Amino acid sequence: MKRIWQHPQEPKTGRRYWRSVGELERRSEFMNKLGVEFPAGDTMDEGERENSRRDFLKIMGASFGMMGLASCRRPLVNILPYTKHVEWVIPGKPLLYATAIAKPTGGAQPLVVTTHEGRPTQLAGNPLHPTANGGLDAFTQASILDLYDPARSQRPLKGGHGAGWGGVNKAIAELAAKAKSNGGQGLALVTGANSSPTAATLLGQVKAAYPQVQVVTYEAISRDALRTANAQLFGAGVQPVVNLSKALRVFSLDCDFLGIDPVGVDSVKEFMANRDAEKGVEGMNRLYALENRYTVTGGFADHRKPLAASMIPVAAALLASELGGTQVSALAATAPTDLQTWVKRAAEDLKKFQGKAVVLGGSRYGAEVHALVAAANHALGAFGTVIDLVKTDAMPEAGTLAELVESIKEGKINTVISLTAADLFYDAPNAEGLRALLAEKKVSVIHWGHLPNATARGATLHLPAAHPLEAWGDIRTADGTYSVTQPMIQPLYGGVSEIEVLLALLGKKKLGPEAPKKADPAAPAAAPAAPVEDAAYAAVRETFGKIAGGIDETKWNLTLRDGFLKGSTYQKGGSLNAGAIAGIVSKAASAAAPTKESLEVVLVPDSSLWDGRYISNAWLQEAPDPVTKLTWDNAALIGSATFRGLGLKEGQKICIKIGETKLEIAALEAPGHVANSITVQLGYGQKKLGFVASDSNDAGRGFNGYVLRQDANQYVLTGAKVEKLAEVYELAITQEHNTMEGRAFIREATAEEFKKEPGFAQVTGMDSHIPQNISLYKGQVGRKTAENPEGFDYDVTHQWGMTIDLNKCIGCASCIVACQSENNIPVVGKDQVAKGRIMQWIRMDRYFAVPKWGRHGAETESTSSEDNPTPEQLETAEMVNQPVACQQCEAAPCETVCPVNATVHTEEGLNAMAYNRCIGTRYCANNCPYTARRFNWFDYNKRPLDELYWGPLSTPSKTGMRESLQLQKNPNVTVRMRGVIEKCTYCVQRLEAAKINQKRTQRDSKNFRIPTDSVKVACQQACPAEAIEFGDIANKDSRVVKLKDSPRNYELLRYIGTRPRTSYLARIRNVNPEMPNAADIAAWSGKQF
Amino acid sequence: MGNFFPRWTNWLPLKLAIALCFILVGVTLGVTYYFTPKYTRVGYEPTQPVPFSHKIHAGQLGLDCRYCHSFVEASGHSNVPTNQTCFNCHGVGKGNIRSNSPKLEKVMQAEASGQPIPWVKVHKLPDYAYFNHSVHVNRGVSCVSCHGKINEMEVVRHDQPLSMGWCLDCHRNPELNLRPLEQITNLNYNAGQLDRAAFYKSLLDKGVKPAEIAAEIPGGRSLDQVPADVKGLVELAEKAYGGQVAQKEVGLQLKKHWQIQPPESCAACHR
Repeated sequence: MKRIWQHPQEPKTGRRYWRSVGELERRSEFMNKLGVEFPAGDTMDEGERENSRRDFLKIMGASFGMMGLASCRRPLVNILPYTKHVEWVIPGKPLLYATAIAKPTGGAQPLVVTTHEGRPTQLAGNPLHPTANGGLDAFTQASILDLYDPARSQRPLKGGHGAGWGGVNKAIAELAAKAKSNGGQGLALVTGANSSPTAATLLGQVKAAYPQVQVVTYEAISRDALRTANAQLFGAGVQPVVNLSKALRVFSLDCDFLGIDPVGVDSVKEFMANRDAEKGVEGMNRLYALENRYTVTGGFADHRKPLAASMIPVAAALLASELGGTQVSALAATAPTDLQTWVKRAAEDLKKFQGKAVVLGGSRYGAEVHALVAAANHALGAFGTVIDLVKTDAMPEAGTLAELVESIKEGKINTVISLTAADLFYDAPNAEGLRALLAEKKVSVIHWGHLPNATARGATLHLPAAHPLEAWGDIRTADGTYSVTQPMIQPLYGGVSEIEVLLALLGKKKLGPEAPKKADPAAPAAAPAAPVEDAAYAAVRETFGKIAGGIDETKWNLTLRDGFLKGSTYQKGGSLNAGAIAGIVSKAASAAAPTKESLEVVLVPDSSLWDGRYISNAWLQEAPDPVTKLTWDNAALIGSATFRGLGLKEGQKICIKIGETKLEIAALEAPGHVANSITVQLGYGQKKLGFVASDSNDAGRGFNGYVLRQDANQYVLTGAKVEKLAEVYELAITQEHNTMEGRAFIREATAEEFKKEPGFAQVTGMDSHIPQNISLYKGQVGRKTAENPEGFDYDVTHQWGMTIDLNKCIGCASCIVACQSENNIPVVGKDQVAKGRIMQWIRMDRYFAVPKWGRHGAETESTSSEDNPTPEQLETAEMVNQPVACQQCEAAPCETVCPVNATVHTEEGLNAMAYNRCIGTRYCANNCPYTARRFNWFDYNKRPLDELYWGPLSTPSKTGMRESLQLQKNPNVTVRMRGVIEKCTYCVQRLEAAKINQKRTQRDSKNFRIPTDSVKVACQQACPAEAIEFGDIANKDSRVVKLKDSPRNYELLRYIGTRPRTSYLARIRNVNPEMPNAADIAAWSGKQF
Repeated sequence: MGNFFPRWTNWLPLKLAIALCFILVGVTLGVTYYFTPKYTRVGYEPTQPVPFSHKIHAGQLGLDCRYCHSFVEASGHSNVPTNQTCFNCHGVGKGNIRSNSPKLEKVMQAEASGQPIPWVKVHKLPDYAYFNHSVHVNRGVSCVSCHGKINEMEVVRHDQPLSMGWCLDCHRNPELNLRPLEQITNLNYNAGQLDRAAFYKSLLDKGVKPAEIAAEIPGGRSLDQVPADVKGLVELAEKAYGGQVAQKEVGLQLKKHWQIQPPESCAACHR
């Protein structure tokens, strides 16, 4: 008899946590997807099926014919050993390198790179580094894919066409000779924000050698306002470095410091140092956030108020005057009363924490915000306690892009060399105009970059850039700790580094790979020539010598081994020039809140692409945005009030007009977004860069927000008008995919409530009244004891388990990308994502919550649309994140339904997958209450993503995995094929490696258990917040056991009796009872059923 | 209506059924024998590009396996040696042993060109099976258990089926193949050659209690008086196994006292 599990009736008290507005309002679009494994249907649609049936017959016909031939012969496989032994390499064992690379968000990320026989496969943070933990952000994690990107720039281009390195060297030599004779007149260098001391030194040398050269700094996400404000406030070269681990109160003025706007060396780690719920109300930090849209920081805030970006200077002024009393400015007077109350009460709380509180301002705001923030911090006594002022390296003086454009207009420039990661012809203000101007003035452009992007194609000469894992370099973290970037693979396509280009300009290096010498077989083997020292290597060594105080071989080798130079932090120094504040603030323009007639447009870097440089990175493209869950595209994010006021549908196109400029873009309703404000993520809409970046028709993905701005420092544009267009654009949003039915996934409480009732998570929802022994799924459960002889034996095997601390998870996509990189998970492309076929094993669920419903502010839900939340209620919705992967149930529903035993339990409690056994019935996915299983609908690894439906008939030249992408694959994990289910297995390859290593080293001893907490799974390793803990639950010393003993520990859907090995720790919000609406925060978690 | 079918067809269904039975049994037998690695794999003996003789090197000369397969104890792969390893003995100006032999021509060529020698793989597991050498050779499983007596092979020959069932046979009964660690690369090892007293003494030296050892010897559990020293243990073992040390005797002791628990779940080899 078929037994259907009846979820307990959902009570009328409302879905208190919801993923999308559709779910909240129970729209039919959502209801149709609910409970369905794949939103596009369980089978392939008509078009897909029709094609594949035909293909099937064709191919089967052919393959039967071939089978006879093929099976006669045993395939010959060769073993190709090294001819000469390679130092350090043990075939079959990974070799780790310590290095550091620049973060797009600023500063450096210390790394440990896993290489297999010379190919880097996985990046992780460097746990030895004094300021970092093992975690890293999604950008850096995914940057390894850039190394193998088939769309990467692979050869020099001359006028958009391929050219050889010989010509490049000749052109650069001529350029250098000319610059030498005329002192660099007419030559301009555009550099990026760079913390490489060697590049800075070389740039200084270029300036010295060619005194007339014009050097400007340009980044698409420019922080010029912050830079100039800092120079005026603290003195030239002095940088504030915020150490959040010393702060108990944090106030963010649209500063996404937990996401893509870090303020210190490792802001997430430092912030989490004071976030342990066990520290109680007194020990836990409290975060206030003002922002126009949801960011991960806002989602993590204890108190958040949606505020238009135009009003941030007002809020800053208000806060500065509340805290300091002396800085009252005209700005503060214009604040609305609710903002005044909000800021005032927050300020009172901050004041109680003198020397332990800090105010952070978004780095893209104008100088007045930074000045006011400095005033507030000064009043809070944050300088010298939470904020350190450090003296950075003297950087060569550099102008701005606007100055360069002026010089070009005056005809002073004849050659521009672009060494910035930005793409001038795409992201510069008025990019088209700049391009026309350069053509008109006959300026030749030399571009260095890793993609054949707009500038590369339009430049006179383009040089392919080396990946940071391919070339020598160096870098300093925000606090100055010096790291050497060491190459661990020869440039795959002969790219060159920025340092090498600068050296070539100085005439010290020839670019490009060395031409292979023609071997003369007749000649007797000559003694090997002495290796010529690479100029870039020498330059880095020289810088190292300067910083370390002399080149000491031991020190150099230790730096390479550990990944950093001990004791190389910047000197502290500089102080706040309080007198400068008033001057900066007085220059500020008056601010006004946006209105229906005059909207504001906020340009923000994208959480996947940053400024657009990762456009060709498929992992990042497919990693859902932490807030909107949008993949492969950007959209105009609009608050519910404005969105509904305009009568828009999801994905409907709008035309944003600001003065003369306009942008057509798809619109998306964003809960938590302030009214009359539109947020546009930058970086999309790049053309002709291949399938990943620009779609199959090369038209570009998403929409280019850069066209709206007139100045590189303009991020908040006012006076916008919006026109509704008829066209509806398809957006691939994962928020309604793989929904779980059932109750009380999210459990949270305020710190006060937690203190009063520590065990609240144990009794939330159904957990307080679960009947005994109700599991449908029998299996080996629990610990083996006399009463439970069938249980897991904790004495003779490891027992793996995991906890995820929701009080630390910020919802960034780092774990998703790390998992993808470790486990060879394919990307599937936008069309497939839209059909719900995303393959990522970790699903980052993002829930919103609204305290009160409908116009009457009811706390119960009725089915009438009368009682749907109002747009204002949606604006103040709260946000929580929950990563869900396979929960490794002990009594696993998936196992009982597999007809071929492809998914079975191991003696260590893992729900293992034998991929080669799977026949693709998908029963297991169907039966998984956590919807944690993914199905390979196509050979995503073997077919071009835009030709999946063509099957074996896809373009032969594009078919098969790209050779370069093969190099990235982890050799210890099977690459799955079409028709196979896959899912998280707790990185079983790492567990097996750890166990094998233990046995290998213990040899004839019986000590089989690996050292406590010595194995880390990929997501845990990547998590910058250390929210994920994993270990042996049979070892009572392990951290995971301690966390599982926490009263906050709970299991998802505990009442169905699956006994998952992964559990969650409830979230605690440190609420200030004095704040407006404080009683509503996290209040409804306990009311769940 | 006349009879359409002649009389002899009455028996046809039965004859067909019997014939079908024979065919089915035949096909089943044929498939189980001819389509399994026991037949398809064992005996595979491809010609190698260089006529390297394991018989001479490992057999006559008695080179240890690990001289060439140097990382077998450290890594999952057992590495095939580089030219440098060959040249330690055969290299001009190094060992100078038979440096001019025409058999070494390809090695010399590889050295000059830098191109590797394309050895032909003999033991090939499917890509989804992750076998690890180091964990076996460090825990009492000898090379010979899977590869056979390489020291007697002129050209390497596939000796065992290496099928999943074959692997599991040993994972279920590891005692049949476990041996002391110093005997791992002794391809001629035979448990009978071991000195029983020395073997038990080595266990006692590792801190194993006599009672625990006795418990693994048949009859040892039911004794009133547990032997307290090597002598007692040897006597007990002689009673159970006879004069010579038996493989099972060694295997059971090692399995117990080294905590050998070969995994039998899928995740052990498939990831």
